[in-house]
Amino acid sequence: MPAATRTAAGAGVARTATPAPVRHRRRAPGYRAQRWVAWAFLLPLVAFLLAFYAYPLYRNLDLSLRNYTVRSFVQGGAPFTGLANYRRVIDDPTFAPALLHTAVFTAASLVFQFGIGLALAVFFHQHFRLSATLRALFLVPWLLPLIVSSSTWAWMLNSEAGVVNSVLRAVGGDPVNWLTSPHWSLVSVTVANVWIGIPFNLVLLYSGLQGISPQLYEAAALDGAGGWQRFWRLTFPLLRPVSAITLLLGLVYTLKVLDVIWVMTRGGPADSSTTFATWAYRLGFGSVLPRFGPAAAVGNLLIVAALGFGLVYIRFQRRQGGQA
Amino acid sequence: MRWLATRRRAVGAALAILVAAGGAAACSSSDDNSGSGAGSATYTIWDPYPQFDNSSDWVTLLKKCGTDAGVSVSRTGYDTTDLTSKALLAAQQGNSPDVLIVDNPVVSTLAEAGVLATTEDTKLDASASSPNLLAAGQSGGKTYGVPIGANTLALYYNKAVLSAAGVDPASVTDWAALTAALAKVTAAGKKGITFSAIGTEEGSFQFLPWFWGSGAQLSTLDSAGGVAALSLWSDWLAKKYAPNSVINNTQTTSWQEFATGQYAFAENGTWQLANAKKAGFQYGILPIPAKDGGTAPAPTGGEFVTIPVQKQTARYATAAKLVNCLTSSDNLLATDTTLSYIAPTEAVQAAQVAKNPELKVWVEAVKAAKGRTGDNLGTKYPKISEPMWKAVQSALSGSQSPQAALSNAQSAAAAATN
Amino acid sequence: MRRPATWWKTGVGLVLTALMLFPAYWMVNVSFTRDQDMRKTPPNWFPVHGTLAGYRAVLDQQLPYLGTSLLVSLGTVAVTLVIAAPAGYSLARLRPAGGGTLSFLLLVAQMIPGIIMAMGFYAIYLTLGVLNTVGGLIVGDATIAVPFGVLVFQAFMSGIPAEITQAATVDGAGPVRAFWSVVLPVSRNATITVALFAFLWAWSDFVFASTLDGGGRLRPITLGIYQYIGNNNQQWNAIMATAVVASIPAAALLVVAQRYIAAGVSAGAVKD
Repeated sequence: MPAATRTAAGAGVARTATPAPVRHRRRAPGYRAQRWVAWAFLLPLVAFLLAFYAYPLYRNLDLSLRNYTVRSFVQGGAPFTGLANYRRVIDDPTFAPALLHTAVFTAASLVFQFGIGLALAVFFHQHFRLSATLRALFLVPWLLPLIVSSSTWAWMLNSEAGVVNSVLRAVGGDPVNWLTSPHWSLVSVTVANVWIGIPFNLVLLYSGLQGISPQLYEAAALDGAGGWQRFWRLTFPLLRPVSAITLLLGLVYTLKVLDVIWVMTRGGPADSSTTFATWAYRLGFGSVLPRFGPAAAVGNLLIVAALGFGLVYIRFQRRQGGQA
Repeated sequence: MRWLATRRRAVGAALAILVAAGGAAACSSSDDNSGSGAGSATYTIWDPYPQFDNSSDWVTLLKKCGTDAGVSVSRTGYDTTDLTSKALLAAQQGNSPDVLIVDNPVVSTLAEAGVLATTEDTKLDASASSPNLLAAGQSGGKTYGVPIGANTLALYYNKAVLSAAGVDPASVTDWAALTAALAKVTAAGKKGITFSAIGTEEGSFQFLPWFWGSGAQLSTLDSAGGVAALSLWSDWLAKKYAPNSVINNTQTTSWQEFATGQYAFAENGTWQLANAKKAGFQYGILPIPAKDGGTAPAPTGGEFVTIPVQKQTARYATAAKLVNCLTSSDNLLATDTTLSYIAPTEAVQAAQVAKNPELKVWVEAVKAAKGRTGDNLGTKYPKISEPMWKAVQSALSGSQSPQAALSNAQSAAAAATN
Repeated sequence: MRRPATWWKTGVGLVLTALMLFPAYWMVNVSFTRDQDMRKTPPNWFPVHGTLAGYRAVLDQQLPYLGTSLLVSLGTVAVTLVIAAPAGYSLARLRPAGGGTLSFLLLVAQMIPGIIMAMGFYAIYLTLGVLNTVGGLIVGDATIAVPFGVLVFQAFMSGIPAEITQAATVDGAGPVRAFWSVVLPVSRNATITVALFAFLWAWSDFVFASTLDGGGRLRPITLGIYQYIGNNNQQWNAIMATAVVASIPAAALLVVAQRYIAAGVSAGAVKD
């Protein structure tokens, strides 16, 4: 992965950094034919992107820029109101808490998913007995439909009949209102989300570890580097490209997380676990009277936030590519 | 390299088979698509009962009504929370079903969106339905559907728990008596009452009998009565008469708590009657008391059978035949028994009580019940209900006092309904 | 000297796995629990008065849904591979102008919440007449996996040493032949990785299934679960039993495929 991503990133850098005359000199006979073939390979993907991503995005943008009542949603003819929906969303008292919760939820989920995933990947990389089987078992959370894993966590964290509280009571502690207290609701959904996200991080980071040549470790050991030093000075830096893509994908997926929070707390109580994703869903589908305009506006704000981080990642990739 | 070639061929063949299979399956199921197309003889029905599959009594009844009307029926059950948005989306694309069965507070929203046809257009006969139940389906002087049945809330109680605590159920006639009973039950080592206060329409549904029972009206959430009702609930939680889990309970999970046999009271609805019989302990039913005595008005649950607007108005005649078949007196008795609902007409209510005298309490409760979108609230109701359930959540979880929570809710509701 | 250390690590591994899988165990526990014990305080760690009612319901009713889920997931894998593999190859080795922009757009494509996509698809599908069909759902589910698939293929294929493709080019093979005969077989691990992700994502998808195939005759298991979630009543042991039964084929696939994933996502054979 290190070499692979660097080359891929390098390709991106070369495109913008190479001055025209160099490109001209590089043209071989059949180059134009090769360019056609390249885009022919890409044709299914481009068609797919246009039909299935561009169109829903356009519809969502349209929903957010007009004042849609249920009547105009069905009959058509909604008036164009520009950024009114966005202004309404920003002025809503739920905006600031939702923003804060989204940031906290995403950051905490990423830190723990990545950290635990990395620790587990390093641990399982040591190839002890049963390590392959146990590693496969760690992927079980991935198999369960989200509605089931979220419900199971809600069950376990129930204030009265939940197993977590029964254990707390058994050891003499006080039961905690995991899902019904404004202080703990965000913590509970974060824990469940981390649990669900560990397999993804484990798989990607483990294969990243596999891409590091064992000879490097041997050389480091010969130089007298201890286990911890080997990790910090050797493993971690070499994992940087894999880590970057894992973190970025993790971020993009976590921003979209809806089912876990919705099933466990519905975003409550009193908006204490509401994130942008759950807020958008609640506006559009969670009440008896749907408000599609504000829902689309919140959804678009979410995409813009993810986009920002995507740009940060591209900048990081360019820097990595430059170092090659 | 030959093994590579063989492998490639195998993979290619496998992929081809998969695609073919997928295509075949897709084609074979696409004949279901011609449902509400131009002039076809298949009529589509959407209902919110996904728990009934094709072998159930409900679907058999639908198909029989179809045969009687001379058409074939294609039915889909959706999750009730999804059905509103699906109906709106379908109407936008001209893909509405021929008959749509929806929860009653949604009818005014769909009517306002122009999704539903009036009974004048479809020649549907709604005269036999009780007026208090029909109100939810009326807006602007027009009727948009017929109720299929009604359910409402009451207090189930555990006879053994109450007698062990020395409480006489008949004495629970107002809030003070109820709170006293809860105190006695908790002192005797059992749990008091369970209900659902979840942050969805279900929570509002369960809060309304107490809210209305204090004399408050939905147009003013922070009246003295409203605050009294919310304080009643938050005091119960503070004194541990009700468990903290009510904040996240659905009506089902609340029932499951009651079914453990540890609780004295549960606020729940007619649909739990079948479960109550399986509970394994003796139970009774009390009407929910109002603040100072009497029966509190409870909200009506239950669905309406409606006919969405179609481009081809000729389809209304047959659709109306289907609806009449579903809501005819003979079929209503069977339908409402399956759904555990109370019938919307006096005649069938009498037949239900004759068949099952236990239902008398429920019939009385339904007669005293109110539609949520009644009082001319219509589409304003959802804009008031959401701040209301948020206030309940805030107060019960301790983030705000009942007075503060309801004041905020009233400002939000007032802003949203203007 | 090494053996005791290995066993100690196995022990730690077992403990960690047990902790991680505890919620899955709890799910199985609930699937055997009677309705009246559902909210017992404290809850039973083992279903002492177990019931098979949930599993009976699943075996009676859910098998067609499981079949459809299998069909949809396999179909999604096929569509994803057909679109993503050539695209990854093109971006990695043929490197057309504008490839960088396309990669960025793929990243953006993954940022769109599922419900927005599903609502947009509804109109397209209705116009094309593929609403409520399995084929339509397959294509819809592919949108979850395709961008990620292209990313994986691109990363993997750009790590393949140039000598391998150069050998083919010298023999007179054009880019298409090079792709089909040389690059693709070598990318077996990437293919399996993408196939696994696509399968799992399609298997557990609910949003697209509900919007695009909610009314079809063949519906996947995530909708089948809703048979136990009525408008007023939920049958939790049946819901959990459905999840357990639905996990079995996916788990089997996982065990078989994980050997290839291990060497998968990274370039594998890259020596700098």
